[in-house]
Amino acid sequence: MGLLSIIRKIKRKEKEMRILMVGLDNSGKTTIVLKINGEDTSVISPTLGFNIKTITYQKYMLNIWDVGGQKTIRSYWRNYFEQTDGLVWVVDSSDLRRLNDCKAELDNLLKEERLSGASLLILANKQDIKGALAPDEIAKVLNLEAMEKSRHWKIVGCSAYTGEGLLEGFDWLVQDVASRIYVLD
Amino acid sequence: MDEKKTASNAGETEALDDALQKKHLSMLERLSNRHQNRLDNALTRRSESESSSSPSFESTSSFFSRFSDSKRSIESQLAVSRTASSDPTQLKSHFEKISASISDLEKLVAENSYFLPSYDVRASLKTVSDLKQSLENLNSELIPKKKFSFRNKANKKESIAQEVKEPSPLNCSSVISDKTSFAVRESPGLRNRKGEVLMEDFRGKEVGEFTISDLDCCEVRIIGCLRALFVHRLKNCKVYVGPVLGSILIEEVEGCIFVMASHQIRIHTAKKSDFYLRVRSRPIIEDSSGVRFAPYHLTYEGIEEDLRGASLDEETENWANVDDFKWLRAIQSPNWSILPENERVRITNTSTLDNIE
Repeated sequence: MGLLSIIRKIKRKEKEMRILMVGLDNSGKTTIVLKINGEDTSVISPTLGFNIKTITYQKYMLNIWDVGGQKTIRSYWRNYFEQTDGLVWVVDSSDLRRLNDCKAELDNLLKEERLSGASLLILANKQDIKGALAPDEIAKVLNLEAMEKSRHWKIVGCSAYTGEGLLEGFDWLVQDVASRIYVLD
Repeated sequence: MDEKKTASNAGETEALDDALQKKHLSMLERLSNRHQNRLDNALTRRSESESSSSPSFESTSSFFSRFSDSKRSIESQLAVSRTASSDPTQLKSHFEKISASISDLEKLVAENSYFLPSYDVRASLKTVSDLKQSLENLNSELIPKKKFSFRNKANKKESIAQEVKEPSPLNCSSVISDKTSFAVRESPGLRNRKGEVLMEDFRGKEVGEFTISDLDCCEVRIIGCLRALFVHRLKNCKVYVGPVLGSILIEEVEGCIFVMASHQIRIHTAKKSDFYLRVRSRPIIEDSSGVRFAPYHLTYEGIEEDLRGASLDEETENWANVDDFKWLRAIQSPNWSILPENERVRITNTSTLDNIE
């Protein structure tokens, strides 16, 4: 292996970002990942465990970890915290009853030290469903304004069903992570 | 004098006989007491060992001794059921007891499956299913099958509905008081009812998410398409719904029947309920027990178009591919099963209230 190829390899590694997708079950995490990747979203079973997708996005390589949200496996989320650059919290905006649970789980997650440096994107999913709460209403319920000042965060309304809002959200996330990590670029 | 003597003699022998008999009786009693004691002890010992060491005795021989013990006891229970009683209700409870011990046995196999050789697991499971089969045979032989019918129910329900109308506001307030702490608007739905037949016709309307919650002894019929459905806290209800384009989330239900079609179905904390499903992906259960699955069949005027519109016109057979998040092992979860065909409810039509049969 020549020196050049080693340098190239390091360089390529630098352009990688590790993105962790979490949220309650039924919020649409897997559907979002598949939609972004341009895959078929018509048959998706609830995630038993996790999926990893590597996606080239702009000039970056995103390693997206999509971890199942069922109650039983939420305790395993912390196994995926290490070295996370971007955190995506997905909310089912039509599930009004469980917004309490949603807030509690998010609060728990944000206490985690290993995630303290990660940029946080909140996707208020299922905006296409009539009766879903708008992103600003979700922000109020989750009390996002009260978050620590050091945290980079943004909430975006989206629909994994139509694809609306997904690119806006990921554009912000990737830019924000890049501006923190690859300052020299 | 002689006479007297003989008389007294006779009296003596009588008394002696009496005493002997008493002694004999008391001995028998003692014996039976001891026998009972021993039985009781054995029982408590067994239950102790069950509670203390249930999943952790990792030896094949101790597993087999327990397995064959309970197998024998189940077989003997099965054997006596022919002579036990002719009263169907007693027979039924007898059968229920047997069925409970069979499922305990199955659980035992499942819990120990991780250290047993695979042949033994298979053999044990075969034994369990044989036991189940013979129980079922006996059941169908000794208890005359009851016919399933919805007839007259509508009337009865209406009268129940009137009776219970009064306490229901109370219910309402208690539910409202434990509502979320944020002022979140309530989604459209059916809530806080008891003993009613509830019908919603959404044909030709655009409906987003819909909630069914806090119902007791109700029958719910939703005609037409929904985008998403939330089901929460239902007891002894029957729920028939048309196609759901997105997902269905079910939580805390007991003693219910659900007939539903959707792209995704998640079932949490369900007890003793039957699900007639059509799903594009694999349905899942979590923290549930005694749930059974069967294929979807529901009709109302226009259901074919609705199913096509929701891409649910095809039978995927996924209703039987249930994932149990509380049972991540290779062998069948004890928490769910396939509803035997002869126990499935026949549903003909939900368009009108009367022609369900």
